[in-house]
This record gives sequence, C-alpha cells and structure tokens, in this order.
Amino acid sequence: MISLHAVTKLYNEGRPGEVRAVDNVSLEIERDAVTVFKGPSGSGKTTLLSIIGCMARPSAGRVLIDGRLVSGLPERFLTEERRSTFGFVFQRFNLIRGLSLLENVTLPAAPLGEDPREVEARALARLEALGLAGKAAMPVEYLSGGETQRAAIARALINDAPILIADEPTANLDTELTHRFLDIVGALRDEGRTVIMTSHDPRIWQADHVNAVISMQDGRIVGEYA
Amino acid sequence: MTPAFRRQRALADYTLAALARRRGKNIGLVAIYALVVFVVASALLFSSALRHEADTVLAETPELIVQNLVMGRHDMIEGNAIAALAGIRGVTRAKGRLWGYFYDSVNGANYTLMVPLDPERALAPGEAMIGEGVPRARGMFWDTAPLFLSRQPGDLVRFDVVERLSSESALVSTDLILLNEADFRDFFRLPDGVYTDIAVTVRNPREIETIMSKAGRLLPEARFITRDDISRTYQKLFSWREGIMVALAAAALLAFAIFAAEKASGLSAEEAREIGILKAVGWNMTDVIAMKLWEGALISVGAFLIGTLTGYLHVFAFKAGLFAPILKGWSVIYPDFALTPRFDGVQIAALFLITVLPYTAATLVPVWRVAAADPDQVMR
Ligand SMILES: Nc1ncnc2c1ncn2[C@@H]1O[C@H](COP(=O)(O)OP(=O)(O)OP(=O)(O)O)[C@@H](O)[C@H]1O
Ligand SMILES: [Mg+2]
Repeated sequence: MISLHAVTKLYNEGRPGEVRAVDNVSLEIERDAVTVFKGPSGSGKTTLLSIIGCMARPSAGRVLIDGRLVSGLPERFLTEERRSTFGFVFQRFNLIRGLSLLENVTLPAAPLGEDPREVEARALARLEALGLAGKAAMPVEYLSGGETQRAAIARALINDAPILIADEPTANLDTELTHRFLDIVGALRDEGRTVIMTSHDPRIWQADHVNAVISMQDGRIVGEYA
Repeated sequence: MTPAFRRQRALADYTLAALARRRGKNIGLVAIYALVVFVVASALLFSSALRHEADTVLAETPELIVQNLVMGRHDMIEGNAIAALAGIRGVTRAKGRLWGYFYDSVNGANYTLMVPLDPERALAPGEAMIGEGVPRARGMFWDTAPLFLSRQPGDLVRFDVVERLSSESALVSTDLILLNEADFRDFFRLPDGVYTDIAVTVRNPREIETIMSKAGRLLPEARFITRDDISRTYQKLFSWREGIMVALAAAALLAFAIFAAEKASGLSAEEAREIGILKAVGWNMTDVIAMKLWEGALISVGAFLIGTLTGYLHVFAFKAGLFAPILKGWSVIYPDFALTPRFDGVQIAALFLITVLPYTAATLVPVWRVAAADPDQVMR
C-alpha cells in the first residue's frame, strides 16, 4: 500500500510565480494493482508521480510506502528507495543521447554488479517483446517517437522493480502497440507487481487490466472509480 | 568476478561510452591537458638533469687544482711541485693530472683525452676507455672496434677499446678518452715529468684558505682553483636557466589551475540533466561519483602519460629543442650536448600529484553538488 496524507507540492515557494502543483492530496494506492491518473494538462499528475516515486519531495504532507515513511528522508535514502522499488517511464522519456538503445536500457542495472551478459540478455528479451530487437545498437536520438517511448518502457522494466511508474506511456503509440503495452502491464500485475500510470487515453482507462482510475484537476483529486 | 568488480567495470564502460560521444571535445581536452603536462614535465626534467650534471661534475672535482701560468696563460706544470704541495700540512694527497683536448678533423669532433688518476682504472699501453659519445661521433658500432686517432695526415695511432664508460653525466664522460700515461705523453709529444695540472685533496675543506696561502708562497707563479670556484661557475651557467624553467613550469601550472577552476565552477545543463537521469533510474551518489572519477582518471591519467612521455623524449632524445631559444649559449660551451636520461620516481610522482589530483578533484566538486540534489530538480 502506498499512502499519501495531505500532500502538497509548491514550486517556486514564496517567490513570484509560485505554483501549487499538488494541493492537499490524500490517497491510498493498492499494491498488486494497476492505477491510472487522468486529468487535464497541468493538473499535477506528473508532479504527483514524482513524489510517489521519490524523485521529488512534497512541500507538506507525508508519503508512506508499505508503511515506511519516505517523505522527508535525505536524498541518499531516497536513491536506495528508487533503486530497489521503482521503474520509471518518464513523460519526456529522459533517455541519454549518444548512447545506444541497449546502453540506455541497461543503464539502471549498471551499478548493481550483475553479470553483464545476463543483463544484456534480459534487455534484449524486453526489446524483442516491444518490437525493438533490431535497433539495439542504434543511438537513441535516431529512434522514432514511438520507438523512443518503447525504449523508455524497456528501461523501466530492466531491473524487475516491484512498482512501475509510467507517465503517459502510450502517448506516442498506435492501437496495436498500446495493446501490446497493456498486455505487459497485465502480465506485471499477474506477477504481483504494482503499476501506476497517467494517461489521457480512454483506451487505457477502460482496459480490463486497470483496477482504479483517479482523476485530478488543479492539483486535487476530483474523482476516483474502480 | 565479484559484484564490486563488475560494478566498477560497468561504470567504466559507461564512462567510455559517454566519453566517446563527445570525442572531439574530449580529445581537445586531453590535448590541452597533455600540453600543460608536457611543458611542466620538460621544465622539471630538464632542470633536474642540469642540476644532476653539475653535481656529478663537482663530485669528481678535487678540492683544489693547481695550474702553472706562463705569461698569464695555463701551461704545463713541473712534477717537482707535486712533492712541494704534498708536504703542506693538511694535504692528504697531491697528484699530477694529464689531460688535453684533441680535435679530430676527420670527424669534426672534439675529445677530451685523459690519463685516469684512479689506479683501479689504470690502462696498459695501447688500451683505451671511451665515453659514449666517441663511438657515436665516429660511427664505431661494434664493441670491440679499435680506436684510431690521427694527429696529421698519414699518421695513425691505434688503441684497443677495453671498456665503454657508462655515462652518469654527459658533461663528464661523453667525449672522454682515457689512455695509458706513456701513450698520452707520446700522443701529445710531452716530456716526462710535466703535468697538465695538479689535483690536491685536503683533510679538512675549511683549511683550504690556509693551504692555498702556504702553497702560494711555494709556487708564486701558480693559479689555484678551488671546488667552490668551479661550483660558482656552474651556478652561473645553470641557475638562471633553471630559474627560467621554474618560471615556465609555474606559468603552465597556472594555466592548468585556471582550467581546473573552470571545470570546478559548474556542469553544463546537459551534463547536469544526465546526472539527474542516472539518479532517477536508480544510481546513487556514489555510483555517479565513481563514474565521474573514472572519467576524470581516464582523461587526466591519459594526458599525464602522454605529456610526461613526450616531455621525457623532448628533453632527452631531442635535446630540449623547443627550449633552444632560452638555452642559447649553451651549445657554444658544449657543442653537442645531450643530457643523460634520468628517471626520477619522486619527481614523476610529484608531477602526478600536481596535475592529476587537482583536476580530478576539480571535476568532482560540481558533480557532487548536482548528484546531491533531487533528480526531479536537475532533470527538468
Ligand atoms: N519545476 C517546476 N517549476 C515550476 N512549475 C512547475 C514545475 N514543474 C511543474 N510545474 C507546474 O506545476 C503544474 C503541474 O504540472 P505537472 O507536470 O504535474 O502537470 P501534468 O498534470 O503532468 O500535465 P500534463 O498532462 O501536461 O503532463 C503545472 O502548472 C506546471 O507548470
Ligand atoms: Mg505530465
């Protein structure tokens, strides 16, 4: 269970241009389930995912992961949390230009001291499942939008993290690829993992695998349905 | 392979891939860096080799040399002066030295011919020991090749080379030819009982003034040269050149400091974003810093090796050719002067400390600052 208690995030706090990106959100997210956030642009979805994924700190409120209080921990503990708990698909992908697709996908595994051949085999299997096997050696800046999106998904899955956080993972995918992604999400859930996503796409909200849809507006939760 | 080793290996692999991305920029960086190391290394190696030459010369110089003057010019000295000098209180030894210069017109080379003072080096008639520069000047390539010296056309004297002197000092022994006393006298057509000068060893160097004044009364015509006089001459010869080298090294280090400070002042937006991404995907601060250490080490150790090696070659193989304008005047005294290669571990270690460490430290400062921040903040 991931619990948020009265979480608020202010950008530019106390300065002109202060933004209340997340406003007093309290919320519980089930483990072993797929939860989707929806809402208009600027409603605070990405910010909320950053807070849940220990990438940003709330300005106020508390975040607990399986009962562990993570808000307010120093950055070095948060890194440990990110490494052991989360896989991320960023809205802007955040792949490293100049490196090959395979190098990008194996990036999260580099500091773990695993056998590089095993990591590579795992990465290639992921790329295969996402229809990218032929592009492993290509520098990521040459990939198309949809390929880049899938590269980001493959990277998020490489460490078999218990929680996948995906920010608009299907924004650049066609129907066929969206269904393939949803199949992966279903498989992850069946393995006992947690998936938390944002999406503008009704095909996602209505998908069989999705357990809960939460809608946001102006940094607040305005609706929640299972 | 242990996980710790595999982790370092993976981080180093990442570093290499990252460096390869900005190949042009990084090659330029290593080139500038290596140039600085090259200048500092050249200056350092050169001045220390100079100092070593001077020390070696002085170590082999007796405390006092007595020369005969005729009309104010150095001339041969009579052997009976030796006994007179040896009789002075405080003198432990007085020995007549035989040495002279010979210009080999065939090869256009200058040699110093000398009879060894050291009885252990005494040579049999017809034998010679030669310095390293001699076979080089004459193109004698195999070890047993005899040495032929010619004073005038048609006249050839043959010597069997029994040993090549390994040169601790280029100044002292490169152009040296050691001969038997009888051969020497014969070669220069010297009568018995005269010497080039007399080398005097004293028991206590502080008595040298007293001994000199006593000797001056015995030999009013003679000129006395102390080791201090020679040392002062060398100081004049070496010290300002060494000073210039130090100034040059200081200037290069200053340039390097500016360069390192620039590095320490901050990362580009792209570099910062990259660190943010690495942290977001689970790298911790130690991973990021270890990776940047690899980067700093690859660049600085690479530049260090290139700079030191080229500096070494420059000084010892190419006679510090790039410093030639500064060193003008040098070549008049030593027509073909090459410094003896020396490898001084302490010096190389010092060079390493002043170039590699500050750079690596300088690169880590901004990295640490970025790596300590929330990834969300640096990634946007
Ligand atoms: N680093 C920042 N500094 C200042 N304002 C920010 C920052 N990040 C986000 N914001 C603001 O916070 C608000 C919420 O942004 P957020 O990215 O969470 O929205 P979102 O719901 O993900 O929107 P979208 O659907 O367009 O991705 C926006 O008004 C945005 O401009
Ligand atoms: Mg967003």
